[in-house]
Amino acid sequence: MTGDRIDWIGALGALALLVVIPLIFGSSYIIGVMTVALCYGMWAASWDFMSGLTGRENFGHSLFIGAGAYTAGFLDVNFGLSPWWSLLAAPLVAVLFGILMGFPTLRLRGPYFALAMLSGSAVMQNLTIIFSVYTGGQDGLNGLTPLLDSTLAQYYLTLGFLAASGVLLRLIANSPWGLILRAIRGDEATCQAAGINVNFYKIASLMISAAVAGLGGALYAHYQLQVGPDLFTVVLSINIIIMVYVGGIGSIYGPIGGALLLNVLTETLRGLSEYRLWVYTLVLVVILFFLPQGAIAPLWRRIRRVLP
Amino acid sequence: MLQILIYGAVISSIYALLAVGFTLVFGVARILNLAHGAFYALGAYGVYTLTANVHLPLWLAAIVAVVLVGLLGVLIERVLVRPLRRSMLAVLLITLAVALMIEQVLLLAFGSEARNVPSLVDVTYHLLGVDISGQRLFALAGGIVVLAGLWSFLQFTRLGSAILAVSQDAEAAQYMGIPSDRMYSIVMGMSAGMAAAAGVLVAPFQSVIPSMGLLPLVKAFAIVVVGGLGSIAGSVVGALLLGFSETIIAFKISIEWSQIVSVAAVLVTLVLRPAGFFGKRAAF
Amino acid sequence: MSALLQVEGLNKHFGGLHAVRDVSFSLQRGSITGVLGPNGAGKTTMFNLLSGFIRPDSGTVLFDGSPLVGLAPHQIVNCGVARTFQLARPFAGMTVLENVEVACLARRVRHSGAPRARAAALLDQVGLGSQADNEVDVLPYGDLRRLEIARALATRPSLLLLDEPFAGLGAGEVGPLADLIRALHKSEGLTILLIEHKLREFMQLVHEIIAMDFGEIIAVGSAAEIVRHPRVIEAYLGADDPVLELG
Repeated sequence: MTGDRIDWIGALGALALLVVIPLIFGSSYIIGVMTVALCYGMWAASWDFMSGLTGRENFGHSLFIGAGAYTAGFLDVNFGLSPWWSLLAAPLVAVLFGILMGFPTLRLRGPYFALAMLSGSAVMQNLTIIFSVYTGGQDGLNGLTPLLDSTLAQYYLTLGFLAASGVLLRLIANSPWGLILRAIRGDEATCQAAGINVNFYKIASLMISAAVAGLGGALYAHYQLQVGPDLFTVVLSINIIIMVYVGGIGSIYGPIGGALLLNVLTETLRGLSEYRLWVYTLVLVVILFFLPQGAIAPLWRRIRRVLP
Repeated sequence: MLQILIYGAVISSIYALLAVGFTLVFGVARILNLAHGAFYALGAYGVYTLTANVHLPLWLAAIVAVVLVGLLGVLIERVLVRPLRRSMLAVLLITLAVALMIEQVLLLAFGSEARNVPSLVDVTYHLLGVDISGQRLFALAGGIVVLAGLWSFLQFTRLGSAILAVSQDAEAAQYMGIPSDRMYSIVMGMSAGMAAAAGVLVAPFQSVIPSMGLLPLVKAFAIVVVGGLGSIAGSVVGALLLGFSETIIAFKISIEWSQIVSVAAVLVTLVLRPAGFFGKRAAF
Repeated sequence: MSALLQVEGLNKHFGGLHAVRDVSFSLQRGSITGVLGPNGAGKTTMFNLLSGFIRPDSGTVLFDGSPLVGLAPHQIVNCGVARTFQLARPFAGMTVLENVEVACLARRVRHSGAPRARAAALLDQVGLGSQADNEVDVLPYGDLRRLEIARALATRPSLLLLDEPFAGLGAGEVGPLADLIRALHKSEGLTILLIEHKLREFMQLVHEIIAMDFGEIIAVGSAAEIVRHPRVIEAYLGADDPVLELG
């Protein structure tokens, strides 16, 4: 069996597991935790798709998340539209932000790009507070309507979107597109010399990344039923990057696993709320010093080698 | 008007202390030290503990706090940063980890309530119809004194010139026999000490809470990006620009709007002139 | 027959440095021309101007009648002008095959056969077939130069710009690479412009030589003529590189 086939079968297995888990652990608390984890999965996968493949690390991913979430908030609370419209509008608005940030930062290399994206999300965070009349300021927008009636149904809906976007991102990553994105990481000048329109692929990958992140943001908003400026923070962006590194950068599925793992981990440590930050920093240190390739994707690759 | 002038000057002086230390570490050691704000917080908490618990006189507590934080900076550089030097991202994340850990320790040790640090100068001056606290003026003076001291050190001592040489060209400095590795530790210690000094100077009139280092870090960072990573002059100019524009906007418009200046300035600078407006060469 | 490449009055300043000075020349179809000059003569800058990586201050470049100035590098590649780099920077973290496969995805050649198959064939052509699945990071230096050529060929260029293809090669490696270039010139019908700063290396290879110094062209002619040219001798006198050894 080719490596690829095994990957898809493994993904199917993981999906099956995720479908079954809430049926086993019926508590709505666990379903809630898992739903949030699935949103993080979408955010991590979308980050990995752009930054993991092209090597252009985006430290302002929360911009797209917040954009999607607040779009959902506005449409629901301020305009009274059905929450399903958010799922259409949120990715579009996020893509708009992607274009807005993407073009001016095209020529920025590595750390400069990271910082520019970071300051973009910080500016939005500040604007959200400045224009509190429209955004609800620090308290944000409350009273959003859920997409479906039961938490279980919402979970499956989110899972469906995560699976669909994960598959889509992975397919693109495995296609010639993915090859080009990885070549951009290798060397941009050589890529141009190979006849590839590097700027097009940079913008396009950022837009795709933004769309999925924004969609995740909307799903999150309609689950939590509130949005706040904490969705634009650097902390959120960094947490997602940590999840990606734990999962194994560049694999798409690894970051999803990393997101699920870290969310479950921090929830189980909820009782020790002061120590949650310690957990994250400990994980960070371990990954940096011992597991730069991540934990999940390398583990899966090892399992795969042993299979027939 | 006079209030804007004084407040602006005080805040600029503190920003300059933070920014110059930050840019020095970057210029010499090529690392973005995200724990810089934590050193600032440690300075404030240090002087608090040393006066409230150890009962040292204020002036001694201040000096001891600065020195201890400086040494901590050296230690962190040697133990945590040096092994990861090959990857900028790794160094960035490890300093972030240090910052988070320090904040956690402060939270656990002191709780989240603001602590009270007595003023060194307890007088309120009355100038031209405006009340100005003596402590703020002292902070302004203190900042200027420290910066002047740093400048003299860099210009007139052998070690200082060596540091300046490394910040301009690390490789060339190594060929000349200047041990760059040791430089990094020293500069990190100096930078941490300067941040701690800033924390000590503002502790009497700013809220001393565990997360107090975050915003100053952001400001220092913004100043350094605008001024040019590695450029000391750029940091000073940037500090003045940011300090005064924030003060003017805070007085004339609103505090919320004043907070956006720093991050907006970073974005604009990166898009227009990534190397900063006063920096001589691109930093990365 | 009109020239394939017509360069007229090309100029480039870097601050106070006039790196390329009023350079004009033309290349006939099917020719192999060498650009000779000491370090700093402006050869690579000229290549960068021709391939679109730098924009000239003034001057025109006509390729098959169409102007190239102002086009982005990838657009110039898709017109049919490919270049290699003096310091090869392959796509790290990818295999040798994938490195060439990317170039097979250029718009110009995307639909002319399965990229992977074409890439494999190109590797065979340059003698790297056996290395196809190796990580490019472990490729020895000499093979990296061949990889550069394979990648450039992938875009089916009419004009190939080679930037110091022999630089850093051992004595035994130069001959085979020169043979490869000669063979490709014949089989692909390429027009080639190549930079070298050691005359010996490409004397056997090129039909004509353009000699440059301090950014301007100081002589054009056959190898025999160039070697006797007074300005060329003057430019290279004192160079520690035995440029004028024909041996």
